[in-house]
Amino acid sequence: MMEPSNTREQLRPGLWVTINERYPGSMITRSETVPLAALRQPLAAARLTFVSSAGVQPKGSLPFDVVHPVGDYSFRRVPSNSKPEDLEIHQLKYPTVDAHRDLNVIFPIERLQELAAEGVIGGLTPHLFSFIGYNMDPERLEQTLAEEIADAVVAEGADAALLCPA
Amino acid sequence: MQRAIERRGIPTVSITVARDITEQVRPPRAVFVPFMMGHHFGVPFHRELQRRIILAALDRLTAAEQTGDLYPLPITWAQARREGIAIEQAMGLRGGAAEALG
Repeated sequence: MMEPSNTREQLRPGLWVTINERYPGSMITRSETVPLAALRQPLAAARLTFVSSAGVQPKGSLPFDVVHPVGDYSFRRVPSNSKPEDLEIHQLKYPTVDAHRDLNVIFPIERLQELAAEGVIGGLTPHLFSFIGYNMDPERLEQTLAEEIADAVVAEGADAALLCPA
Repeated sequence: MQRAIERRGIPTVSITVARDITEQVRPPRAVFVPFMMGHHFGVPFHRELQRRIILAALDRLTAAEQTGDLYPLPITWAQARREGIAIEQAMGLRGGAAEALG
């Protein structure tokens, strides 16, 4: 099997400059890092949450605004005991053909439920979290949506978080 | 997003299909899968692969030693897709080779 590249070379050199020239500030670069938090218990005792930018949301909840020129900075709570048929996708920025056949390719709720049932993880938070990506104001996202979701993750008693930037 | 959660003392790990973006924003821990957008956990009905990707990510929660950890999962998109096609054929969801190429 072919091994993936381990080089640190940019796959698309110049992309950042190009996009930032057209949409100033839309592509962020971070040099500072956040110190790692430690997992305080074994995985089998840890309550996991899942945060996704795939626009997956419970049927009947307010659809994400997928055509707003600056973006939608709201989020939805997805009950972690949901079945895929309880959920729908509101996002245009990635191919959803396969997600509509098997939601687990982008929002693996059934696999997470199985890992919890088997005791591989201690459990899931009552809700998982969902928003849409391709928001054009990353500072606003950092200052509002990111903080709101982080607070909600804490409030649900998460011990660890799996994130999926779609 | 990931930084905001980690700052609250909750360890985080993300799955990325965009290595260049992840290298720019440097989240605390990430697993890179070289897959098509919208397929972070692989291909439809390939439960073993979906599970393997989640477990690889959860493993980084304890295995990562430094912030900015970026772990490339040793798999290719072509391989994932081949396996997915075989699974769908076995499930009767797909025909033979001609359709598989579509």
